[in-house]
Amino acid sequence: MSGAAVDTAVNLGGIALRNPVLTASGTFGYGSEFAPFFDLAAIGGIVAKSLTLEPRQGNLPPRIAETAAGMLNAIGLENVGVDAFVAEKLPKLAPGVIVVASVFETEIDRYAEVCKRLSDVPQVKGLEINASCPHVKSGGIEFGQRAEVLAQLVRATRRATPLPLLVKLSPNVTDIREMARVCEAEGADALSLINTLQALDVDLATRRPVLRNGLGGLSGPAIRPVALRMVWQASQAVKIPICGIGGIMTAEDAVKFLICGATAVQVGTASYLNPMAALEVAQGMEAWARERGIARLADLVGSLQPPA
Amino acid sequence: MSAPLPLRGEAVVRENRCEGGANHRLRVALEGWPGAAPGHFVMLSPGARGAAPRFDPLLPRPMAVYRSFPGATPEIEVLYKVTGRGTQLIAEARAGDVLRIVGPLGVPFALPSPGARSLLVGGGTGIASLYELAAQARARGPVLVLLGARSAGDLMGRDDFAALGVDLRIATEDGSAGHTGRVTELLEAALDEAGPAAGDVVYACGPTPMMRRAAEIAAARGRACQVSLENRMACGFGVCLGCAVPRADGTIALVCRDGPVFGADAVGWAGVP
Repeated sequence: MSGAAVDTAVNLGGIALRNPVLTASGTFGYGSEFAPFFDLAAIGGIVAKSLTLEPRQGNLPPRIAETAAGMLNAIGLENVGVDAFVAEKLPKLAPGVIVVASVFETEIDRYAEVCKRLSDVPQVKGLEINASCPHVKSGGIEFGQRAEVLAQLVRATRRATPLPLLVKLSPNVTDIREMARVCEAEGADALSLINTLQALDVDLATRRPVLRNGLGGLSGPAIRPVALRMVWQASQAVKIPICGIGGIMTAEDAVKFLICGATAVQVGTASYLNPMAALEVAQGMEAWARERGIARLADLVGSLQPPA
Repeated sequence: MSAPLPLRGEAVVRENRCEGGANHRLRVALEGWPGAAPGHFVMLSPGARGAAPRFDPLLPRPMAVYRSFPGATPEIEVLYKVTGRGTQLIAEARAGDVLRIVGPLGVPFALPSPGARSLLVGGGTGIASLYELAAQARARGPVLVLLGARSAGDLMGRDDFAALGVDLRIATEDGSAGHTGRVTELLEAALDEAGPAAGDVVYACGPTPMMRRAAEIAAARGRACQVSLENRMACGFGVCLGCAVPRADGTIALVCRDGPVFGADAVGWAGVP
């Protein structure tokens, strides 16, 4: 069944996207790894692997483990460093690809420095602050787990860049609404949520954690209902747009995020099992709307109805 | 030859059968398959694609391309053991079913120089990485294939290797076939009986202790050694970063992208799972 063309364009905090589907940081490399599989300009954009000031080697193996409808990871933020990203990785991408750079560090001034180095790079259309790292000076608690620390981080990175600023929130908090409000008050242009849920699995033979790091982050379809709940709650608490993340495997999953208040979505773990997942989600959303006579995907945003 | 670009495709099951115990053989047809070199692998979805998508188990399984059959519709074969739910679901796929596949992936084996002798050491499912290598190395020089297993019934692909006409020797830990003991003992004996031959190349794929021992034996006798590592991986093409292993110099390599084939002296063996 075919209907009229669907307007798929959305605006995510100042980043104009041709459709609402981005790829989640840490699941899409630096983009060029996917070039054999599809044209990256056909999706809304890519969020590249989190960048630190210097290259990082990451954790020793085992780094991943499969769980029920999901997986654990503790990669340790292995990355090439911000300067190598700009010099070597970005030039491999076609000019039409929308790139959001993810920023990660262990101290606030270092976060700000990474933001500065990315701010004059033409192909970088926005920055996403990964606030899920343990803050050394706060005794190892994640930046995103304490409202006052998160506020300092957003304030400092906001000052460091004129680019659209997204803050990626940790789900490992008591009240996601409080964290969302803090980011909005400090000038964030949009929110990305959720990051992985902190988790543990056990090797019965050795009685050790399955990951060398001990704890890991849970991703995949197992976390999707948690993500939908948090996106809905955050969208009720703030006016800035939200990029929904968490176990999106299909176009139908992505539509649910829009209905719960997300303006755009990120496809993450799905890209591992299907390198074309983000493209298929983007095309599938358009088809879903066309078959139902929905003229604009943006009209779906926040259309959740009260329980019957 | 430049590396073939991987594709994501739908593999149609031609044949899928148990070959005794946990051993299984799967043959699939793959439209557009660009071909594979010895040592390449594929990521295979855990079970046939049904009418509704299934996401548990979530991740595809890395499998060596055992044999390739070029043609109008190319076909490939993989050998696997049923060890859990994912491989059990693969075993339940019937002729005509569709499995999702990504490949060919990884850095293949470097073939021996013309005239050089190849010594292939395989154990467990690692044997599956060695068949195409044996077939191609045979055209360049003498090939000795050493296969190990706990028991005769656990051996994979034995008849296929025998049919290649290569020198095939077997070791089983329980003595039910061939030499009683470890396959690496056969490697030691083979290298020592022949005396020094600088061009010899040892190729090993199997459990980590087996590969590590093969690497030690080769190094002690001044022979080059390539190993094909196995590891958990979620994607197979360098983005999940799950299959990291340490190199000998302390840096991190990805088994899927930088390997699975490595020079044995480049591997930081103490940190390989």
